[in-house]
Parts: sequence; C-alpha cells; structure tokens
Amino acid sequence: MEDLILRVTDIRKDYGHIQALQGASLSVKRGSITAVVGDNGSGKSTLIKILSGNIKPDGGSIQVGQESYGSLSIKNAMELGIRTVYQDLSLDNYKNSFENIFLGAELTRGPFLDRRAMKEEAGAILERINVAIPDLEEPVGNLSGGQRQGVAIARALRTPGKILLLDEPTAAMGIHESHSAMNILRSLKEQGMSQLIISHNIHQVFDIADYIWVMRLGRCIAGVATADTTPQQLQELILSRENQEVQ
Amino acid sequence: MKKIMAFALALVMAMSMAACAKPAEAPVAPVEEAPVAPAEEAPVAPAEEAPAAPAVSATVQKLYDEFDAAMAEQLGAMPESFAELKVGAVVISLTNPFWANMKDCYEAAGAEMGVAIDVQTGTTEGDTASQLDVLMTMADMDYDVIIVSPIDGTNLIPGIVKCNENGVKVINLGPGVDTAALEEAGGHLDAKITVDFAEQGETCANDMIARLPEGGQVAIISGLAGAGQSEGRTAGAKEVLEAAEGFELVAVQNCDWDATLAYDAAKALITEYPELKGVFCCNDTMALAVKEAMAAEGKEGVLIYGVDLTDDARAAISEGTMTGSMSYSSQRYTKAALQMAVMLNEGHVFESFVYLPLTLVHVDNVNDMEGWK
Amino acid sequence: MSSFKRWCVKQSTALLLILVCLLMMAFLSVETRSFFSVKNVVNILEANSYRLILAVGMMCAIASGAIDLSMGSILSFSAICMAKAMKAEWSVAGSIMLSLALGMLMGAVNGSVIHLTRINAFIITLATSMLYRGLSLIATQGIPITKLPQLFREIGCGDIFGMESGVTMAIVITVLLIPLFYHTKWGSYVMSLGGNPEALKRSGVPIGLYRVSVFVLTGLLSAVAGIIVTARLNSAEANAGLSMEMDAICAVVMGGTAMRGGSGSLLGTVVAVFLMGLIRNGLTIMSVSSYYQQFITGAMMLCAVIIAEMRERRTRIG
Repeated sequence: MEDLILRVTDIRKDYGHIQALQGASLSVKRGSITAVVGDNGSGKSTLIKILSGNIKPDGGSIQVGQESYGSLSIKNAMELGIRTVYQDLSLDNYKNSFENIFLGAELTRGPFLDRRAMKEEAGAILERINVAIPDLEEPVGNLSGGQRQGVAIARALRTPGKILLLDEPTAAMGIHESHSAMNILRSLKEQGMSQLIISHNIHQVFDIADYIWVMRLGRCIAGVATADTTPQQLQELILSRENQEVQ
Repeated sequence: MKKIMAFALALVMAMSMAACAKPAEAPVAPVEEAPVAPAEEAPVAPAEEAPAAPAVSATVQKLYDEFDAAMAEQLGAMPESFAELKVGAVVISLTNPFWANMKDCYEAAGAEMGVAIDVQTGTTEGDTASQLDVLMTMADMDYDVIIVSPIDGTNLIPGIVKCNENGVKVINLGPGVDTAALEEAGGHLDAKITVDFAEQGETCANDMIARLPEGGQVAIISGLAGAGQSEGRTAGAKEVLEAAEGFELVAVQNCDWDATLAYDAAKALITEYPELKGVFCCNDTMALAVKEAMAAEGKEGVLIYGVDLTDDARAAISEGTMTGSMSYSSQRYTKAALQMAVMLNEGHVFESFVYLPLTLVHVDNVNDMEGWK
Repeated sequence: MSSFKRWCVKQSTALLLILVCLLMMAFLSVETRSFFSVKNVVNILEANSYRLILAVGMMCAIASGAIDLSMGSILSFSAICMAKAMKAEWSVAGSIMLSLALGMLMGAVNGSVIHLTRINAFIITLATSMLYRGLSLIATQGIPITKLPQLFREIGCGDIFGMESGVTMAIVITVLLIPLFYHTKWGSYVMSLGGNPEALKRSGVPIGLYRVSVFVLTGLLSAVAGIIVTARLNSAEANAGLSMEMDAICAVVMGGTAMRGGSGSLLGTVVAVFLMGLIRNGLTIMSVSSYYQQFITGAMMLCAVIIAEMRERRTRIG
C-alpha cells in the first residue's frame, strides 16, 4: 500500500438534528499536500476540528501513522504530531510574534519568561519556513495577513510535527498575501512536511495540492490526483448528486 | 469533577457563613433589647404619672418629660381607643445605625400601642428609584397610613400621589418631601413630623463657640451634597460660625456620609490647618472617623461634633474623644409618628408641621444620659 | 522600533498622566500652604493605599477581559467576618487569615461561576456584589463593629517608615505584581485571556484555572484593602467599600488599560490612583466642593480614554 501519514475512516458527527459528518473517509500520503474542497456546510470544518482534537466524533476512527484512535483531545493530537493552523489563526493580537509562537509553551528561566531565548528561537523557526517578519516585537495585530499566517504556521511547527492541518489558509487574504502564504506551504512541502488543506478556492487548490478530496453533505465523495483532473471536473463533483460516488 | 468542585465551594461558603453568624449575636443583642426596656414604663400621656424607671436617669427622665409635654402641646392627646389599623414605614436605609435603630423603635412602639407596623427600605440601599418602587407597591396594599422618610426631596412624590389616590394617609417623617413639587404633581402630605436640621447645626456651632472663648479655625464636614439633612445642618452651623467673632470657617467639605472619605479629609485638613480648633460633622459616622484621624495624628483637644448620637458616638463622648452629638429620642420620635398615624386614621387633621424637640448630648451631660434612646 | 520607544508609545497615557500630576502638584504647592509638606504627601499616600491595592487587582481583571464589580462587597464582608472573629476572641493573626481566605474564596466563587457558566463577568460579579453585600448586611444588621484589638490596628494602620502600614502593603503588592504580571506565564496568560482566550485554549492552556486565579487575586486584594480600611476607621461596616470598585475601574481605565482586555498598564494604574488622590486632597485643603471633584475626575477620565483610543486606532492593533 501507499505510505499514509493519516487515514480517516467513516467519521460521523451529529449536532442535534444536523448531521455534519455522515461517515467521511479520506487519507493523506506522507510528504504530500492534500486538499479537501467542498461547499459551505459540506462538513470540512467539522472534520478539521475533529482531527485537531477540538471536538469528539460520534463514530469512526482516525489512524495516525500505525495507531488508530476513536477520538483525540487537543493534547493527544499535539502529541501525535498533528499541527493545526486555524482559520482565524488563533493569534493574540496584543502579543508580538515570538510571544504568539511560544503561546502555551513559553521558555522560562526560573519563574520568569525568557524573552530573549524565545525571540532567538522564533527567529530561527521563521527563517526555516521562509517567513520574513521585520520586527519580531511588533504586536501581531499590526502585521499583514501573510505575516500573520506565517506566525501561525511557525507556532504550529515550533516542535517537529508529522502533518500540518490548515483550515482555509487564505480565506481572508488579498491576492498578493495569499500568494506569499502559498509559497510558505510549498517550501514546507520541499522540506517533507505533509499537509492537509481545507479550502473552497478550487483554483488555489489546483495550484498547490497533489491530491484533492471532494466533500459533499458530510461525506468524501471523490478523491483524485490533481494531475488526473481539471478544475471543471472538480466543480461538477462539488455540485454533483450524492450517487456519483467515486472510490 | 467540576460539579464536585462547585459543590465543595458552596459547602465551604455555607460553613463560613454559619461560623460568622455565631459571633453576630453578641453586638446585635443590646440594640434589640434597649428600645424595648424603657418603652414599657413610658406612657405618652401626662408625664408626671410616669414612675422613675430604674434604667432611666433623672436627667433623661426630665428630658423625656419635657419632650412629652412639648409633643402633647403640638399633637393633642392620644385617643383612648381607636380602630384597628395597619401602618407602613418607608425608611432611607437599614445599613445606617440610625435607621436600623429607628426600625427597632418603630416596631417597639407599634407593639406597645397595639398598632401593626411594617418597616421597609429600598431594595438597593441609597437608591432613590428602588425606594420609590417599594412605596408604589405599598400604596396598593392594605395600609391605612404610610410614614415616609425619603432619600431626597422628590424621589417619593409619585408614590405619595398614588397613596393620596388610594386613600392611604401619608406622614412625612424626618427628611422633607419637597411640598411645592408635590403639590404640582397633585399630591399632598397629611402630616409631617421632623427635626429642624438647621437647628442641629446651630446648636452644635453655638456649643463649640461657647467652649472656645478665644476663637480659632473651625471646619464643617458635610454629608452628601444635595441631601436635606446635610444641607440643613451645614447651613445652620455655617451661619453661626461665620457670624461669630474670632472664628474662621476654613473648610466646608462634602464627605458623602462616608467614614473613609471623612477620615482622609480630616487628615488633609489638620495638615493644612494645624491650629484647627473644632469640626462639626453632619453625622456621627463621619465624626467618629474624624476622631480616629485626630487620634492617628496624635492631635488632642480638637472639638468634634456629630449628629445622631449613635452608641459609638456616645461612648466616644464619655471618653472625651468626641465633644458632642445632637440627639433626639428615636423612641419618642417613632411613637409620636405612630400616634399621628392613629389620629389621622381617626379623622384628626394636622394643620401644621410637628417639630421634634432636640437635645445636645455633650461631654458634660453624657454621663447623666443613662437610658436615653 | 527600539524597545524604549515602543515602551513609551505603550505607556503614553501613563506618561501623560504623570505630566498632569506634576502640573497639579505645581499648582497646589503655589495655592496652598501645606501641600508640599512631608505630612501632606504622607496623607495622600495613606489615603490612597487601599485604593491602589484595589486598582491593581482590577487592572489584572480588566486585562483578562473581565471585570470584578464585587471587590467593594468582598472588602466589606471579609472585613466584617474578620471583625466578628476578633470579637469572638479569635487571635488577630487567625482573624486576618480568615479574612484573606474568605476574600480568595469569594473570588474563587466569582471565577468558577464565570468559567462554568460562560456568562459575562460583568453580570456575574454584579450579582455576587449584591450577594456579598447582602451577607454583610445580614451579618451586621447594619450595626458597625467597632473597638478592635490594638494589635490589629497596629498591623492594619500602624507606623512603618513613618507612614501607615497600608502604604507599605500597597507598594509591596504593586512591586510584586510587576514581575508577576509582565514576566511570568501567569501574567502572559491573563493578558491572553483578554486578547484571545480561544487561542490560549487551543495552545493547551487550562484557561479555567487562570480565569479563576484572576478572581482569587482580586478577592485577596479586596480583603487586604478591607484590613486597611477597617483598621484605620477602627470599625467594620456593611457599607464599607461601597462603590470603591468604581473608583478602581476609573483609575484603571484612566491609566490606559482598555476595557476589552489583552494588555494592561500597571504604571498607568498607579499614576491614575495617585492623580485621583491628588485631586481629592487638593480640593479638600482648598475647600472646594466635591461637586467639582466629580466633574474634574470625570472630565479627565473622558480625555484619557479618548486619547488611548486614538492612539490604538493609529497603531491599529486588533
């Protein structure tokens, strides 16, 4: 079989009457960029919240490497090497770049924060992922969208991870900024980082992803290699009827 | 886990409250007892009939007699028999010792005279609107007479108008209702019993002048700006002190009846005016705070006057750390108000305001005041 | 931007207030005889020691995106229990410990209820402020508890360095808060509770613990302020501390801490408390009516808030 970093099997989640996920299954190959596309309400966000440990699924399993799990907590997910960049980036706008990168895992000397060490290490992390932030002490509320995305990714990859989950990484960005964000992801791929990207921007996905899963009404209805499909075919799948299931 | 934690917290909280409740009995007890004891042998009617009670000193008995005579002159005699009635009283606060004591006195007087009485205050202390809400509610209940002591001159006017419409008689006790505004709103008071606030200030100021033959710098600590008692007492004291030869009124400071503010103001004043000779405070809470401030400064001999004669003020006057406090008998005050309620209910009409006779309790007579309530 | 310049921008409100303080002091020293006397300066410090303690606690609460409206009520109830304990022949040390423990407990109740119900701190502490004030009224029946042991008075307002002990307490508390608030994880997380609690939670930080700890701190500081207030007046009263939390909020906001939380200025809070104290003292020794005091404080707070907001917009954080 192929070398999979993550496999999700038959995941289900209900919110009262609303069935957000009705048995979704997908897999991510090691070292690839895999995208999940779908319309609003197709269950993409619920899926990523389950994978990052923010919510518990009602059924199904999550396989990370060789081990299989029924559900994950935020802490489990972190320990398993799952790194998440949330759609809202989860940044504290009043804190600067290195404070955000080390949020929840601050370096200390005795009881006190070791800001110098954090700043140095943050600089190294940002350099590694090719993110340029001119002033690490500037509150992130004052940074551009691309820089903020960079800080959020740097935080996710502060400790070595196996897979990076990105929820709508370019949702709120202009063309120029989203371009620079995409470049960060490409350079991460070159360093061998597996990525799962949630997006509804088909053209962007085509630009960057190796594999694409199409979600519709809480299921993954198709999984295709980017090379084997076209944006038009994808568009049709997204809007297709349920019975046209592939795989 | 969270539930257990919350429960444990609640439990500890309840236990701590129970622990606090126990020692509470000690300081509260004397206040509850005190008004009841002298009430038993002090009929309103002719003073000479009253036997000298063991708890009441000769001086106090003389004051009571004078009081009763003065009241009888103003009120007329208490009816021998009267129809059953229910009286409500709306007071300003139950956190202030003065009003807490008034509540006890009302209840004691009611029990003695056979009149049902409920004493209420606003749900939020010091809140004019909530005091009005209480009166509005009471106006629709089955009270025959309601005695009101408003927080300010106008806050209870709509409630009084409603009482008028519902045929409930209204007596104004203590702080005055703005009668012009009340008339404009189409309401009226059926009777009013009060103390002359200006007289309280004047009496203290005169006593201060008498004790300071050489004159000097003096100050006034007022209550809440705009409150009737505060403005009246301040004006009375101010007039006397400004007119007195050799005296300089260096400051008139509002301290909002607040002990902490009065304490800090007193410290600032004694620093700016080290030669300060006397301070008149518009109530005892503030006067006691000024006393503490002077003690903390090691400053002796400054004459400090207050109003209300609280238990603590009386003790301070006995010690000589305070000079005097304006007093009147809360027991006689509430009793007179209830007598007026009864008389109103019997159809009596009060043509004019009733003024309560006042007494200055000072260092020279405080030890003769045993039993004064 | 250099760190110093960044610090100046961040503390611009505080620096401005310092300027106003200096002008005020210059004015008062010309206008009055005793203003610049050691005694009067000591008076100002003493009269504001407990206000400062309440304000720095409030600053932490506001930085955490919350508020504690029950501080005045905690002050009163913890002080009353302490006074009752002393009247019941408890040792002075034991009574003080009781008051501190009750303060922290009442704070913990505030914090736990806020965390568990996720209801706005404003609403919860408004409710508990009435609850705790009610307990004070029930416990005292409106009668102040007076004549406390001399040892207690020595502790609460005895002489240290020629000033009431409250001044030393306030300075020690404020100095301890500087590293705690700015240089530890606790302070960083408290600010993030105001900045972005969701981000903090996703970083694996137990935010409930930190939320509760902020209220435990405000409760503890309220109890400390209660000890000072009670010792100075030699009396524990049900309406002690009434609306003192409003003065504290006023000082915190005037000192440049935004109500939305995320950051806080300890320096600004200290300066604002001092400035409000200056105004109060100056107007008293000049014998100006308290009407003006309210007016001036209100006007200055308005200016401070507007200046802070304009600075915020210019640097567009958020």
